[in-house]
Parts: sequence; structure tokens; C-alpha cells
Amino acid sequence: MATSNSLSGIVRAMAGTIDPDAGISAAGEPITEAEALQRLRQSEDHSQQYYAAWWLGRNRSRHPEALPLLLAALHQRRPRDPGAGVEENAIARNAARALGKLGDAGAIPELLAALDDGDDGLREAAARSLGELQATEAVAVLLRRLASGPAGAGAPRLASPRLQEPCEAMLEALGAIGIAEPGVITLIEAFTAHDRPLIRSAACRALLQLSGEARWADPLVQLLDHPQLQVRRAALMDLGAVGWRPALEPICHTLAENSLKLIALRGLVEQGAHHDATIQAGAVLSAMDSLL
Amino acid sequence: MRSVESDPIGERIEAVRQADSAQTLLAATAVLATSDHGNSISGEAIACLVEVLGFNCPGAAVVAVNGLIRLGPMAVEPILESLDPRNYGARAWAVRALAGIGDIHGLDLLEEALGSDIGPSVRRAAARGLGQLRLDALEDSQRQAVQGRCLQALVAACADGEWVVRYAVAVGLEGIGLADVNSDHLRPASRLALLGLSQPDAEAVPVVRLRAALALRRLDGLPSA
Repeated sequence: MATSNSLSGIVRAMAGTIDPDAGISAAGEPITEAEALQRLRQSEDHSQQYYAAWWLGRNRSRHPEALPLLLAALHQRRPRDPGAGVEENAIARNAARALGKLGDAGAIPELLAALDDGDDGLREAAARSLGELQATEAVAVLLRRLASGPAGAGAPRLASPRLQEPCEAMLEALGAIGIAEPGVITLIEAFTAHDRPLIRSAACRALLQLSGEARWADPLVQLLDHPQLQVRRAALMDLGAVGWRPALEPICHTLAENSLKLIALRGLVEQGAHHDATIQAGAVLSAMDSLL
Repeated sequence: MRSVESDPIGERIEAVRQADSAQTLLAATAVLATSDHGNSISGEAIACLVEVLGFNCPGAAVVAVNGLIRLGPMAVEPILESLDPRNYGARAWAVRALAGIGDIHGLDLLEEALGSDIGPSVRRAAARGLGQLRLDALEDSQRQAVQGRCLQALVAACADGEWVVRYAVAVGLEGIGLADVNSDHLRPASRLALLGLSQPDAEAVPVVRLRAALALRRLDGLPSA
């Protein structure tokens, strides 16, 4: 925010390429693309690499070195360092996330390989990025990883809140990629009966994206009344990602932060024209105004 | 309503403070916020509504904000005094209440919040508020000076890094442009900033461009659909 009023911030934002906030590091110092590339290239300071990978994704870098450096970072393996507050394979996971944002299909083969990595956090990041890249090549691997269904891939791990597979991310990826073949639909449908509402929400979101059938929207709208805030938030994000305009009123009335409702409504405006909706974008904009 | 009105305000405040779940807090806040206080609104009732903004309970906060907006200018001082530098969720609700009240005493805070608050939800509420200050009571020259300050803050925030803040800036610029009846510079300056927000080469986010284009149509007196 410190740069919001600076001339360079305004010029960059006006150019529509780089967010003025994005150049500010955790310590509050803006860095340049060249600096980010340099931080990722060196290998002594891992926290600098971690930040640089995030920076390149956030700013959707188009520098020719960004892709090869991030692909190299995708191979870094490093156990969690509790003292530093850093997650397992932190750099590789951030690199996987950034690769989805670069929008370069050259990242797909290595992200596909990461879908079979032993680290489920890395599989999760890779799945989301393959979804963002709408990588049709990923469908077969995602189907294979999820083939054992809610009782297998969707079974809880011992002594961990996580499931055997990062089902939520994988289901969302299948929806985003957009291949609506019967085998894909049948597999996703099995997860609409999962014990966990977040998994059901992800499955319904994917089915709604793939089929456009209103019956998959009903469970999502019902989850907006779920007693847990976390579930209501997920349903908001899922309805927004699909752009399901008939959910306008329930979205406005659910008990959740306005910030999240605004994100969901942005989805209704931007994605909603894909559906045969009687609700016009203007009605959604007016609802957004009242949530500011 | 009759049975509710027989409750003294003190009991309603107590009900808010004793609430032990999101549901009971929401219900108790709703009763307090919609009380017909008449002339006897106590500072304690206002303070209690302000307190609810910091409870991290969105449902109750919405109701408390609406209650504070209903109370109007008398709520401004207590809100300003309560601002918590460490809780930006609470600050966002407080700025939202100030924006809704539209009292001129909130101007400094709205300007500062839009320019430098770390929370996007605070900045977006401030942007909206700067477009809807109630300035009817001011003299022309004073009103235009205030509107000029609002405009300047909004134009600078066209470069904010968060789309939702730029969206709110478009709404704020529309407010300034529409409120300006006599001035010969506020509306053109609003239009210029909105033009920037409506162009794909200057604004990457479609919903912001759509909102800015809608604001431009309204400033030009065209149908908004």
C-alpha cells in the first residue's frame, strides 16, 4: 500500500500489467522482476527463493527465464522447518502455484509429473495449476488418482486432517479443465456423497461447471446455510467460480464476510454469461455496491 | 414491536454482552440496533454496537453497522475513538459505518484509510464513503473544497493493487460526479478517472471495467442497463 500513491505505482497499474502492491516484500521493500529472478537463481537463502517463486507467479512474469527457473525450483525437496515456519517442500509448492499463473503450457509436463509426487501438498498445488492452465492432458492422471473414490482417495489419513489425495483440488481441477466425458462425470458424482461438506462442495462445483445442470447448484446453495463458516465460505467461492447467477440472493444473505461475497459476485458477473441466466449483470453489480 | 419496546436499553446491552454464540449475538444485536431509542439513546448503547464490530461475527457486525448508520452523526465520535489499529476486520466495519453515515467529521479518516490502510476491506469501504458524504449543509465553496479532496483521494486510489478497492473507487467516483451540480471541474475529472478504469489496456479486471462503464453512463444521464 505504501506505493499506492506513488507515480510509478500509478503508471504500472495503468499499464495493467503489474499490481502496485505486488512489489512489496514481507519486509515492505519493493523488488523488481530482475531481483526476483536473481533470488530464485541463487540457492543459499531458501526464504528468498520461496518469496521469489511467489513473486513471479503473483506478477505473472513473462520473462523468458521465469519458466526454466520455476521448473528447476519444482524439483527442490526440503523437509518442513518448524523453526522457520516453513512448510514441507515449500519452494517446490510455491513454484507449482506460480507455474499455474504464468499461463505457459510449457509447464504442463513437469506439473503432470508432480501429480504423482509423494508429497500430497505438492500434488495439491500441481492439480490446481493444471486446472488453471486447463491442461486436458491432466485428466487421465487425475482420474487415476481419484479412481478409488470417496472410500479410497477420499479416506481420511491417520492422525491428520488431510485425506489420502488432495481431493478438493483435484475435483476443482477436473471442473476447470472442462472435459465433460461420462467417465469424468461418473467419478466426480461419487464424491458428492463424501462425508466432508468441503469435498461435496468441490464435486458439485465441478459437475455444475461441466454439465451446467441446476441440480448440482442446489447442494451448493444449501451449503450457504451450513453451521460452519468455513463451509459457507467454500460454497461461496464455488458458486462464484461457476458464475451461477441464480444464487445471487442466497449469496447476499449468507452469513459470511462481505469480502468473500464480493469475490463470489465478481464470479457471477464475469463467468455468469456462460449460463442461461435471467439475472442480468447489472443486478449483480448493484448487489456488489451494497456490500462495499 | 410493543413487547420489545418495554425492555429497557440496559437489558438489551446486557443481552449482547452475554451472548455465547453467533446466533444469540446476532439476535441480541438486532434487538439493540433496531430499538426505538427516541431521544434517550445512551452512550453505552452506541459503545456496545461499536464493540460488536470487533467480535469477528459478520452477521452481527452487519446489523450493528446498520444500527449505527441509523443513529447517524451522534455515532461518529464513538466510532472514531474505537478504531483498533490491530484489528482490520473491525476497522473495515467501522469505516463502513462512517461511510454510511456520511458525516463530514469522518473525512480525514476516510482519506487516510483509502490511502494507507493495510486492509483492502478497509480501503474499499473508505472509497465508497468518500463518494457519499452528506454535504448539503455546507456552503458551496466549502462543499467543493471537500469534494475536491474526496476526488483527489479517489483518483490516486485508481492505482490500488486490489481489484475490489478499484471497484469501490469507481462507485465513489460516480457518487462525486453525480453530487456535483454546479462545479465545472469535478465531473470532468471523475469522468477521466472512470475512463481509465473502464479501458482494458488500463484495467485488467473485467468487473471493475463494467462498473466504471456503468458509472460513466450514469454520469452522462444514459440508461444504465
